[in-house]
Amino acid sequence: MRYRSLLAAVILLVILAGVLLGQRRIRQVFREDENEMLVLPSDAAEKTEFVWARLRYPSLRASGMWAMRGSWTVDYPKADRTFLQGLRRLTRMHAKAMEQVVDLVSDDIYNYPFVYVVEPGHWDLPEAQAKKLREYIDRGGFLMTDDFHGTFEWSVFTDSLNRGFPDRTVEDLADDDPIFHVLYDLSDRFQVPGIVNYPFDKTHEYDGFEARWRAIRDDRGRIVMAICHNMDLGDAWEWADHPQYPEKYASLAYRVAINNIIYAMTH
Amino acid sequence: MFEFLFKYPWAMYRKGTFVFLSGWPLWLLALLTAAAAGFLLWLFLRRREQWRGPIRASILAGFQCLVFAVLLLMLWQPALSVATLRSQQNVVAVVLDASRSMALADDGRSRFDIARAALDGGLLGELRKKYPIRLYTAGAALQRVDQLEGLQPAESATRLGDTLKSAAGEASTLPIGAIVLISDGADNDGGLDQQTIAALRAARLPVHTIGVGRETPVSDIEIAGVQTPARSLPGTRLNAFVTIRQHGFAGGVATLSVRDGDKIVASRQIRLDGDGKQSIESISFLSGEKGARAFKFAVEPLEAESNRANNAVTRLVHVEDRRPRILYVEGEPRWEMKFIRRAVEEDPNIELVSMLRTTQNKIYRQGIGDPAELEQGFPATVDELFAYEALIIGAVEAAWFSGPQQALIREFADRRGGGVLFLGGRAALSEGGWQATPVAEMLPVELPARKSTFHREPAKAELTGPGMDSLITRLDDDLAQNAARWKALPALADYQETGAPKPGALVLAQFNTGTGRRFPLLSTQNYGRGRVALLATGGTWKWQMLQDSKDTTHERFWQQLLRWLASDTRGRVTALTSSTVISDAAKVQLRADIRDNNYLPLADASAEARLIGPGGLADSVALLPDPQTPGQYSAEFQASEPGSYLAEIVARRGEQEIARDVTTFLREDGVAENFRTEQNRELLERLAAQTGGRYYPIGGASDLIDEIDFSEAGLSVRETHDLWDVPFAFLLLALLKGAEWLLRRRWGAV
Repeated sequence: MRYRSLLAAVILLVILAGVLLGQRRIRQVFREDENEMLVLPSDAAEKTEFVWARLRYPSLRASGMWAMRGSWTVDYPKADRTFLQGLRRLTRMHAKAMEQVVDLVSDDIYNYPFVYVVEPGHWDLPEAQAKKLREYIDRGGFLMTDDFHGTFEWSVFTDSLNRGFPDRTVEDLADDDPIFHVLYDLSDRFQVPGIVNYPFDKTHEYDGFEARWRAIRDDRGRIVMAICHNMDLGDAWEWADHPQYPEKYASLAYRVAINNIIYAMTH
Repeated sequence: MFEFLFKYPWAMYRKGTFVFLSGWPLWLLALLTAAAAGFLLWLFLRRREQWRGPIRASILAGFQCLVFAVLLLMLWQPALSVATLRSQQNVVAVVLDASRSMALADDGRSRFDIARAALDGGLLGELRKKYPIRLYTAGAALQRVDQLEGLQPAESATRLGDTLKSAAGEASTLPIGAIVLISDGADNDGGLDQQTIAALRAARLPVHTIGVGRETPVSDIEIAGVQTPARSLPGTRLNAFVTIRQHGFAGGVATLSVRDGDKIVASRQIRLDGDGKQSIESISFLSGEKGARAFKFAVEPLEAESNRANNAVTRLVHVEDRRPRILYVEGEPRWEMKFIRRAVEEDPNIELVSMLRTTQNKIYRQGIGDPAELEQGFPATVDELFAYEALIIGAVEAAWFSGPQQALIREFADRRGGGVLFLGGRAALSEGGWQATPVAEMLPVELPARKSTFHREPAKAELTGPGMDSLITRLDDDLAQNAARWKALPALADYQETGAPKPGALVLAQFNTGTGRRFPLLSTQNYGRGRVALLATGGTWKWQMLQDSKDTTHERFWQQLLRWLASDTRGRVTALTSSTVISDAAKVQLRADIRDNNYLPLADASAEARLIGPGGLADSVALLPDPQTPGQYSAEFQASEPGSYLAEIVARRGEQEIARDVTTFLREDGVAENFRTEQNRELLERLAAQTGGRYYPIGGASDLIDEIDFSEAGLSVRETHDLWDVPFAFLLLALLKGAEWLLRRRWGAV
């Protein structure tokens, strides 16, 4: 009996060591610069038409580093700023080089009709914030979600969502939906993996095997919430300039987000 | 007295021409008078010591000179030449107004009874001594009657023009010497036209008018007129301007309302102006669903009002079953576009087609009818661009459009009659170089020739005076509430500086940058056949995002602005009527404005109006071209039955149909005589003066007997009457000599 327990403990240690080694290997490849948040783009103060707003939200049962930073900070701010460089280069949009953090506590969110939410599989919106999100959407705001995977995170996501949108249903988008064609034709889409999947011999996390392109619509049938489930567009933007991150994923991630923004600004 | 002094009645002097019968030249008269004056002055001044100074000498010389001048004048044999009717050989037409307004009792007796009593009480008898009399009644038409007894004022309308024209027509076969019209002058056909006056003057027929009835009502409120658009899109907010006259309620308060059938669609309190003054009140209301809609504008009757039947009038609005298409071109992705689109999507009667430059070489099109629409970019031909009713130009630099495209934008308003809206933005107006293009001419404001006019800073919108009255900026039906709502609006996201407004432009709103500087925010003006507006911001979307989701300010503003922009844009054929409501009349003029493919007036078209009237009545009438104005066609139509009429005008060129358009009008009976019931003395006086007659109040009608003899109409003879022997001349001589003698005595010279 004692040998069996010992064996189990050794196996666990080996697995844990394997995971840690794996993560260390990933971080050795995709190195994060701790000072990147301190370096602002030279035109960060420019007043522009479009401002990329990232939602700060309360997280569910967070632990470790994410308990301190919050799940909303995942990939922040490099993903935002790298994406914005692309947005400014690829479109005629007058977009700000730096992101803006908003929340559902203050009314400042109403100044930003497009909001990006990362890891909503970990959000836990109190009733008041869920209602405010609904008011934001009803006034004309647009929400894009990203980087949450599998059935568990989906259920966490919908738990908060339903507090604000009990009358709305989430639907899977068809390939011919205008949101996939406003600028880039995106009929042919695939799952965009996060760096956790390095070296990308698989692209899914947990049981999120297939990328799901979902949405919530308003009374007039306009998409007001673009839900990118089982994919990690944020990592694709963040590491788009990294030689180890495949170009095809980064390219699709840019196109999806740009289409979402153009759609939000025209519908 | 006048006749004693001057030998003849005043009427003869008024009608006659002054002549000299001696045959000697008038210059000789003037020369002799001047010579005599000079000689007498010299004579008296030479002996001025005798007259104790030159002034007294001059005065005495003046008196003698006047005596000499009067004598010379008498020697020249002055006379009056005047045309005089031959007694018993001319007919006098006596026309008695028998319309319902003559039944009104001003002082216990009806106007009709007062008029009849005046005629029976001696006027007719005196006239008959000199002339045979023909009696007529006037109403909608002239009717001959044999006697006054048994007549009743029951005609539903008074058309003085038509009745007098008929009387002038009778003069061609009958020696009518004069017309005597006894009326309250309450005409329902817009007064007298030039044609009628010309016909009477050609026949040299004097019309003597005898006015009957009060000239001002005691206590009455009347709607004197209503101006409202003849056409509208469904559910559009319309403004009506109601002209109100009142007597006896100065400073009082009344309720002005608009009804669509039994339903009150608008209502507001009004303060009544001074007695006899006209005031214009505006009231806005929604046009409702498609179809011909009869709106009743009424001032709720007040107690003690003498005539309550003139408190309401009806106007017809043709609510059209069409959906104007607006083309919106935007140079870069902007939030303004999203929210404009959303506002329009709430409006079922406007269609927005948009093209957005997402990247340098890609255009995203929305609302297109087929895949080929706008495939080649912004329209480059008349056919493509003129297919839209309005145009919105966002933040697009002028250089993106070719020269011909810029000219086409201007022609779109000028020739097509479309509406063009320019928005502010990073590449708009002066930032986009528009001030150096032909398009700058059509803008309601001047554009500065500098950059850095666009600012992404918050700015508060402020309503101006014209904006208070405008329907574009009407966020609340109550004007005070509307002003309060504008004050409470969130700041705009950005603003763009422009120059001063051009003459003729209306600035409806301005923005306040918070530094005390103000610039036009929303300005409009007419340009050619169309309309142009400029909204110097791209940031009204904040009105949506910074207000409650249930607030409809943003939607309402944009829907009203775009409806103003597009709803008056007509097709190649525009059908019109002379009036949308004809009261107690049948005649209506149908008009059509017909244009070719390029929207230039088309002179060689043919046009036919197909009419459907009450009870399925069907008729058609051909419209004839106006030789003076190319593209204008018209025809007269007789609406035989009261009720609503629909006229569809079909224009053709050869066998090919150009286009068709529909208009509506309403004939209502038993209404006209309720309005303008006081005596219209001004009209009666004008009629008499323009035809050589005279106006008499009913109390002084007997003076007419002397006046009527002098007329060139009918069988008349020109007579000459000597004036040299008028008693006044001898009296004048005696007075002059007597005065001279008195002065000489006083000055001790006698």
